[in-house]
Amino acid sequence: MKTTNRLNSLRPARRSGIFLALLASVIFAAPIAFVVAGDTNSPPAQVEPVKPAKNVAKKKLTGAELYQINCNRCHAERYPTEFTSAQWKSIVTHMRVRANIPAAQAREILKYLQQDSGN
Amino acid sequence: MLPQPASAQVSADDFNALKKTVEQMNEKLQKLEQTHAQDQQIIQQLQQQLGETKVAVTNAQQTADNAAKVQSASPALNVSEGPMHNFTIVGDAETQFGKTAGQHSSFVQADFAPIFLFRASDDVLFEAGFDFILANNGTMISDRSPGNTTTVNLSFATLDYLLNDYMTLEAGELLLPLGTYSERSAGWLNKIPDNPLARDSIVPGTGVGVELRGALPIGASGQSLTFAGYAVNGPSSGATNSIASASALDLNGNVGNNGNWHGNPSGGGRVGWFIPWKPHYDFELGLSGQSGQWSDSGNRSWTAGVVDAALHYGPNIEVKGEYIKTWVGSDDLGTIRPNGWWVQGGYKLAGMGLELPYINNFELMGRYDYLNDALGTKTDRYTAGLVYYFSNTLLFEADYEWLRSHGPAALPPNSFILQLSYGF
Ligand code: HEC
Repeated sequence: MKTTNRLNSLRPARRSGIFLALLASVIFAAPIAFVVAGDTNSPPAQVEPVKPAKNVAKKKLTGAELYQINCNRCHAERYPTEFTSAQWKSIVTHMRVRANIPAAQAREILKYLQQDSGN
Repeated sequence: MLPQPASAQVSADDFNALKKTVEQMNEKLQKLEQTHAQDQQIIQQLQQQLGETKVAVTNAQQTADNAAKVQSASPALNVSEGPMHNFTIVGDAETQFGKTAGQHSSFVQADFAPIFLFRASDDVLFEAGFDFILANNGTMISDRSPGNTTTVNLSFATLDYLLNDYMTLEAGELLLPLGTYSERSAGWLNKIPDNPLARDSIVPGTGVGVELRGALPIGASGQSLTFAGYAVNGPSSGATNSIASASALDLNGNVGNNGNWHGNPSGGGRVGWFIPWKPHYDFELGLSGQSGQWSDSGNRSWTAGVVDAALHYGPNIEVKGEYIKTWVGSDDLGTIRPNGWWVQGGYKLAGMGLELPYINNFELMGRYDYLNDALGTKTDRYTAGLVYYFSNTLLFEADYEWLRSHGPAALPPNSFILQLSYGF
């Protein structure tokens, strides 16, 4: 019942919808261009405050580190053994979408969680 | 006569032999020095390796600790066997007990909120969250009928299509990225049982429509730029006539359901910047907005702008908040500007490093929130709270709220709330 009404309502709305979508793409294209340009010109600005070695800045963050950085900022940490490997795959996808985590990072995190996952 | 000193009679042979010995010794010395330098290098390398081993051990210890903690943590609901391999049920459940000044105390509500995740393929995920709420009618001021009311709500239901590494398309009933609160407010996530006032009354939490969202990593330190753009059936008019009076605004109304005075869909988006500098230390800043027509009468529009921020300073300190401003066009009052903000801080007592039993499971909470409905009612509220973590997802919360409200729609005064939340 709701569905048909919803479909009907889309028609008169199409113009404004398209306009807004365009507007949104422009707003989002600007930062993308900025980031892409920034990536090629400048070295990563962040130097990690980790003690022992000097050349860590270039080192890629591990799955464990990415998990620590991302997975307890919205809620308490969920431990690898709480879910099975297959469940983690769905959950990390869910979290990747919900938390806007870049895919490459989500993949590393998933690997880390699956290593110690429950069964 | 003195005998001639023997030294005076060193023969050339002897001298040469001696010279040779000295030269050989020199050579040996040089070699030794070289070896020494090499040894030093080896020692340095060994020291470095030792350092790395220590780090590895610490990591392993952490993992072991985590594993140990889990034994006391929640058991996972396991539906991953057999043909339902890709189907997972998660979610949360809450029970609330409340006492508002001037009313009797009671169990206010019980809430069971399962989330169904179905992963159709590597790129397609269906997620649906429901809310089964059993509420005590006694606390509803307008309707004091006896007994309880059970409601079932669909919190969200979306089909997520992962377009590529940076973008996901979502369609369905969306939790709106208008600020971050509605996307991040499941029961066991919230450290204070009730929502900030402004979240409940001047912005919608969900909408039916489509959304494109994602993230771009920046550099190698885990920073990212996140984005979301959406078009949804926005707020509409609850009026039974075609007049766009300000009080007829229905934030959760779905455009197009009845009659002709309910306006057009609206569009919105959010850009966020997430800046971690080491694990548990991060800052996130977001800007979002939504705009659309809520009533056809005179093309009245509804627009909202939200600034959100969150800071983690170590594992024990968290501060977050939102500022919300909206613009509502109306026939009777012109453009009114309902607005509000909230800021919330938490401190885990574990940060004090006390060796006392139980103390490390507590978190102290504080929140201030403010709401101006632009129809004459202004409310501000201070909340002080305590969270006790039985495990990572079983939380007991106790809060006291001091509320001051003036105006025609003034809210009831101070109250006390207890809540038990469980995430599974
Ligand atoms: C942007 C905030 C945010 C971040 C970051 C985040 N989560 Fe979540 N997480 C949520 C919310 C909100 C829920 C509650 C479920 C819902 O509302 O869909 C949740 C639920 C969960 C659950 C319960 C099962 C489920 O799928 O609902 C698990 C497990 C979980 N998160 C793990 C993780 C892991 C692992 C990470 C790191 C990759 C992570 N979360 C990062 C917000 C976040």
